[in-house]
Amino acid sequence: MAKKLGTQDRLPLPIQALYIVVILFVVALMGLPMLNVLAVSFSTIAKSDAPGLILFPNPPSFEGYTFIWSFVNLAQPFFTTVYVSVVGTFFHVLMASLAGYILTQRDLPLRKILTSFILLTMTVPNELTMIGIYAVNRDLGLLNTYTGLIVNGMISGFSVFLMRNYFQGIPLSLAESARIDGATELTIFSKIYLRLSIPGLMTIGTLELIRRWNNITLVVTLISDMKKWTLPVVLRSILFEQTSTSGTSYIFANAKMAAVVLTAIPLVVLYFFTQTFFTSGVMIGAIKG
Amino acid sequence: MQRSLWKKLKKYKTFYILFMPIALYFLIFTYFPFLKGLVMSFQENRLIGNRPFAGVENYSLVIQDPDFLASIKNSLIIGIWDMVLYFILSLLFAIILNELLNKTLKKTVQTIAYLPYLFSWAVIGGVWALIFDIQGLANQFLSLFNVDPIFFLAQPYLARPLIIAMGVWRSMGYFALLYTVAIVNIDSQLYEAARIDGASRMVQIRSIILPSLAPTMKTILVLLSIGVLTHFDEIFIMVNPANRRQIGTLLLYVFETGIINFKTGTASAGATLVMAGTLIFTAIIRKLIKYDKD
Repeated sequence: MAKKLGTQDRLPLPIQALYIVVILFVVALMGLPMLNVLAVSFSTIAKSDAPGLILFPNPPSFEGYTFIWSFVNLAQPFFTTVYVSVVGTFFHVLMASLAGYILTQRDLPLRKILTSFILLTMTVPNELTMIGIYAVNRDLGLLNTYTGLIVNGMISGFSVFLMRNYFQGIPLSLAESARIDGATELTIFSKIYLRLSIPGLMTIGTLELIRRWNNITLVVTLISDMKKWTLPVVLRSILFEQTSTSGTSYIFANAKMAAVVLTAIPLVVLYFFTQTFFTSGVMIGAIKG
Repeated sequence: MQRSLWKKLKKYKTFYILFMPIALYFLIFTYFPFLKGLVMSFQENRLIGNRPFAGVENYSLVIQDPDFLASIKNSLIIGIWDMVLYFILSLLFAIILNELLNKTLKKTVQTIAYLPYLFSWAVIGGVWALIFDIQGLANQFLSLFNVDPIFFLAQPYLARPLIIAMGVWRSMGYFALLYTVAIVNIDSQLYEAARIDGASRMVQIRSIILPSLAPTMKTILVLLSIGVLTHFDEIFIMVNPANRRQIGTLLLYVFETGIINFKTGTASAGATLVMAGTLIFTAIIRKLIKYDKD
């Protein structure tokens, strides 16, 4: 791997310089806005509202956070989002891996039909069936319920096939010998397959958690009751519709940015904890479409 | 023999029973909404009671609706610009990043560029609201060149560029990561051979890296083409009376017509047309890049 690089493996100096400039430009373009948001969120009201670029909070302050968390009550949508995302992801991982396990059974009669049945669900983007989804959830009484947010997306073709591919790497002989020992299918599934597939489960779990946390389309399709909105939708009204969320009080820039940070930070933390699984999942996601 | 067959059947019975809730989910929440949308597009707009069939009335209504026609234009402009820019800029960025020899630095730059992809569109909307504020980063930057502050988010002529830029800011790092993985997987023997032939680094990039990326490029193009007409979340976040005529996309039209104004028939007809449009668009892209040939 670590071969010595000759001069011919380097770019000509002017191009190298150009590359460095481009990279610095991209880093500034991506990094400065994020730094700006973070710094403003930790600034005082007076500072955050005064002209001038803030890249470091001086003096640092939690004013924005306490205001948005307690006074505007961001705590409620925050915990709503935690609840529907975590519970929804749990069932999603369970159902998708169960389906993946069933499709792994090589000799199962009708397996091809079951596979196509799931494959077909991946052809139409969810957003395009928005009206149908609304109508079905209305008929089932799931509008304006957290159950609705949890149940929709309970399983997805993408996760099923990711788990199936993962399970196919587990030798069939393991399951066979367990069957001979009298283990039931559910035992084999949970004690052998799930236990040997932690990275796969982490991958679909992380991707699903992010998807659910950030979801906007489904939330605005099913939930019209503002009190039941999740973070991204509440954040939108905090940012752009002053009056409807806070009643009479004005939300200053530091509090707005605190809301932005609170919506984003759980995923950043999650990302750094699950990075290795995550990148592999991203790859598979791209290949599978 | 018979005993084992019976045993086998019994084993399969368990699998079918386990598959039932899965099948039920897909039938109720994927297949049925799709069919229901299709049926509703041929029915009158009614909330309760039975909806009489209306033939193609909804379709003729929708294609004569100036709002719908405007949203086709907006969707195409925003969708195609996003597709082209995601594709090209992330490719360039990945190739340039690959020339960074310091691993830690490379990883850091990659992470910074990737991070926005984790964020909800609402978060990106927040970033935009701050940096394009009258006192924001963008105006601070322009003031260096003595340009008067611009109220970016209220300018109709800036509405589309700002939405497109939002998408690029969020997604470039993600697509660059896909290219990077493909670059890392290039067989190092190819470089060895090129070195022996005396090929410079520029030649190596042009004749090894770019051709090796062709399959990844095709996959990404097909992926992107599916999304061209389905922009919704970022529009929902950013739309306001000042920019609606520039950035109101097809799915915003479907959402507002069907879910806000309860004209489910009209909205379903619109959605069905978007579906057909997406099919045609992806088919064209697949054909153009010869995706199904290899």
